[in-house]
Amino acid sequence: MTYFPDGMIPPPVSLDTAPFWDAAKEHRLVLQRCSTCERFQHPPGPVCHRCRGSNLAWRDVEGRGTVYTYTWVHKAFVPALQKQLPYAVAVIELPGAEKTRFVSNVVEVTPDTLTVGLPVELVWDDYAELSVPRFKPV
Amino acid sequence: MNATIVGIGETRYTKWGGISDQSEFSLACEAILKALDDAGLTADDVDGLASFAGDRNEAILVAQALGIPELRFADMVWLPGGGGAPASVGHAALAIESKRAEVVVAYRSLCQGQFVRFGAGPEQVWPKVERGFLVARDLVEAEFGWMVPYGVYNATTGMAMIVRRHMHLYGTTTEQMGLVAVQTRAHANRNPRAVMHGRPMTLEDHASSPMVADPLRRFDCCLESDGAAAVVVTTTERARNAKSKPVELLGYEEAVGPRYGYAGFANHNMPEEDYTTGGGTRVASRLWESTGVNPSDVDVAQIYDHYTGMVLIAFEDFAFCERGEGGPFAEDGSLPFNTAGGSLSEAYVHGLNHVVEGVRQLRGESTSQVDGAELCLVTGAAGVPGSALLLGRTR
Repeated sequence: MTYFPDGMIPPPVSLDTAPFWDAAKEHRLVLQRCSTCERFQHPPGPVCHRCRGSNLAWRDVEGRGTVYTYTWVHKAFVPALQKQLPYAVAVIELPGAEKTRFVSNVVEVTPDTLTVGLPVELVWDDYAELSVPRFKPV
Repeated sequence: MNATIVGIGETRYTKWGGISDQSEFSLACEAILKALDDAGLTADDVDGLASFAGDRNEAILVAQALGIPELRFADMVWLPGGGGAPASVGHAALAIESKRAEVVVAYRSLCQGQFVRFGAGPEQVWPKVERGFLVARDLVEAEFGWMVPYGVYNATTGMAMIVRRHMHLYGTTTEQMGLVAVQTRAHANRNPRAVMHGRPMTLEDHASSPMVADPLRRFDCCLESDGAAAVVVTTTERARNAKSKPVELLGYEEAVGPRYGYAGFANHNMPEEDYTTGGGTRVASRLWESTGVNPSDVDVAQIYDHYTGMVLIAFEDFAFCERGEGGPFAEDGSLPFNTAGGSLSEAYVHGLNHVVEGVRQLRGESTSQVDGAELCLVTGAAGVPGSALLLGRTR
């Protein structure tokens, strides 16, 4: 499936964030983790914000979480999304990654079924050169 | 502080794209000259400039255009967008207190129709695509990489999620947000300069306005405007000779907490206890502590109103009420706020117009004057790193 049509803007990426998107192409959800503190951090950065060391790695995380908060977007800020309205954007809390919050979309929901606390799981949305992580109800 | 506001200036305010016969640069110069005239000063007196939100009118070129004889200080505030208006005046005051400059003008000019829409990523011309990605041109673009693939292109969508969480935790309602919209609109209808002057709004109008990003409706969102504003700051000594009534700068603060970043504008990983705040609790507690003023002593406030729900949250951040009580506080209505109409109904000049209105209140010249107003709080945007000023009537 492709949730958003062609014309969607691809993610702007830097050297510090590219590994996330490279892993996504292999359908792996990864987050940066400090090998010294043994804790995740998101967004990723050049150093661990706790110990300030650079002993950082990308670690696979389980794609299960709960909806922390959400919104239904009713206005197409990009013309390509006009036919997609409304679409749901949510902050997903990932218990498998120390409750790291991850902004994404929830698919296969309606205004009646999308609630704070809803359990969701990862689905991969494949485009020509890109895979985007989204979530659906468990 | 040993710094005093002596002049305010504004151009006409219109809706987005409404000014095409005058450049944004020209508006900046107009607002600065009006503010200097209000103070009884000229560009010959100016030795410092300050702005914020990445204003396009660079200080070097403003100094060149206005024939400023010697520019010794210029500053572009580090806080994003509407977070920085109070700080631009605060930085002006710092320059004066440190004797780096004697007359500093804070300014903001905005004609988005003449350029790229502010904060609207998708309408910008993006750079090269590599392996399906866009190559971020700076750190902020890379930060927005955590939003863009999900259809999050602006503050509205991000702030909607903070407000939604606030509603979930505290039972905040659409009607309470509507009260903010309706009250500011009523002020705008007494202010002939306001873009929404002559356009009354009821709670029903608010509740039936189109949804933008649930729970934020059109009338929960600020305007987009063309226009410019400026504020002149000088030493307390020189202020004694000012043409217009000077207004005291009792305090200013700016701060951002741990892991806050662009907060609701980006990855939403601020600490749990900060999530349903506007991030302004540190600014607020330092401001109340440094000035010795209690929130209940404030007579009138100019609260940055990009979104009605964030105004309710700012009431809580600045300790006018307990956490979660912003909605009931708006119902209570005991604090007059945004008396010129704010960003929701006067104009979107990124909050420098809020400082201007604060000055007007303490001069006794507002179109919605609070009788005997002596203390006015002016805040920058909640939900991004922000700042605040406390202004006092000169005795």
